[in-house]
Amino acid sequence: MSDETNIDLELDLKGLLCPLPMVKVSQNIGKVPVGGVIRAVATDPGAMADIPAWAKSTGNEVLQAEKEGGEFVFLVKRVK
Amino acid sequence: MDSQQLTTLTGVIDKKMNRQLKQYMDICARCAICKDACHQYVGTGDFKYLPARRAELIRQIYKKYFTKSGEFVPALYEARDPDDNLLDELYDSAYACTGCRRCMYYCPFSIDTAWILSVAKAILIAAGRGNEMLGQLADAAIFKGDNAEMFNDVMISGFEDIQEEVREITGNPNSRIPVNKEGADILYVALAGAHTIRPAAVIFEEAGENWTISMFEAANYGFFYGDTDKARLITKRYIDEAKRLGVKEIVVPECGHAYRVAEMFYEAWSKEPMPFKISHILEKVDEYIKSGRITVEKGLIEGKVTYHDPCQIGRNGGIFEQPRDIVKAVTDDFVDLIPNRQEQWCCGGGGGIVAMDEFKETRLASGSKKVEQLRASGASVLACPCENCRLQIEELNEMHGLGLQVWQVIDLVVAAMPLKGKKPVHV
Repeated sequence: MSDETNIDLELDLKGLLCPLPMVKVSQNIGKVPVGGVIRAVATDPGAMADIPAWAKSTGNEVLQAEKEGGEFVFLVKRVK
Repeated sequence: MDSQQLTTLTGVIDKKMNRQLKQYMDICARCAICKDACHQYVGTGDFKYLPARRAELIRQIYKKYFTKSGEFVPALYEARDPDDNLLDELYDSAYACTGCRRCMYYCPFSIDTAWILSVAKAILIAAGRGNEMLGQLADAAIFKGDNAEMFNDVMISGFEDIQEEVREITGNPNSRIPVNKEGADILYVALAGAHTIRPAAVIFEEAGENWTISMFEAANYGFFYGDTDKARLITKRYIDEAKRLGVKEIVVPECGHAYRVAEMFYEAWSKEPMPFKISHILEKVDEYIKSGRITVEKGLIEGKVTYHDPCQIGRNGGIFEQPRDIVKAVTDDFVDLIPNRQEQWCCGGGGGIVAMDEFKETRLASGSKKVEQLRASGASVLACPCENCRLQIEELNEMHGLGLQVWQVIDLVVAAMPLKGKKPVHV
């Protein structure tokens, strides 16, 4: 999906320990326009639950949450 | 401000009012001893961070609406309405405070400014001015609790990956991270980060403990946000899980506030007795070492080691000696920070402040006393059992070139255990 999606902001969250990946996505979501997408790459497995839970509870959308090798890649769309 | 909103905000104080709060409101002598106790005031020199000044903002509303003198002659008694200006001041005062309660320790009347600021946060939330980031983090945790099945597979998959790392460290292919194990003695409630699970799992497995891992994290941003109902719901996730699994004891990780929330606040919030023993993981590790259930060797940790008492575990939690005993069990080269234990300086990173970018400058400036202490110790390794403290001190370490390695205590323990596997990489 990442090949077909326009990315508005890339976040390198590798090495950050949870919940910081979720915090960084939250702090940066306002930097993309409504409908815009953040691509975030984390290495802490806790992000696989944290970032989707944050998106659901704030009304945003996770388009992709995939494990790729030792990394976790998220596409997060700003909905509002 | 319309009368309905005013009633709502003063109603928050009314609801929280008890003998303790009334005493705090009436008794401050403005001696300002607290100014020398507060790391944030000392580090920034900013009047708004003086503890008595922070409390005074609530006191001004109290005087206006809960005392006759303030009601009738407000100018004389410094009584104020909770208008936009006051709420702005209250926001900075309350959310910048790390809740370390060092000011209370030195106050001649033991005024608990952190508790007064919990009232301030409740007022801010009622006014729709609670900190957005902390609120989001709390809501995300509650969402995970309400939709646990949605996250089941990713959680178990994550635990399986960590279990492989644990096996590499122990050299034992049978080492496990037990999930949903009914009849386990211990439910270990880690943080979301794998670094809090991996070394704990090594220790539990090597101790032969009958344990299981929680599907939830111990961190509680509802507590930092200042909403006791959210904080209760976040804690309730693993209390209900512990009931379902029939465990005897809940063990919380190297996290400051998580211990205090479970051990000291949940009963009051839920209005039901805590059915489990609550232990900090360092209490368990200390037991394991002293009883011989795990073995540690000296000489495997290089450099002089010191220990930072996180405020919520130390001054506010009463755990001082077990961590020191653990560190002394793994090294003969230990030096305490001065001052220490109840008088330990807050590092400046507690209370959720590391998640609030707007206070970054204040936070880093407020670490000046911790930097002085660390430098004076001559240590090259710091053992620190709190996530927020570690994040703050690692940033101070880089900023001031302290050259420290900042470790979880349980990482030190695993590094000192004679295990058959490969040595873990310290994170």
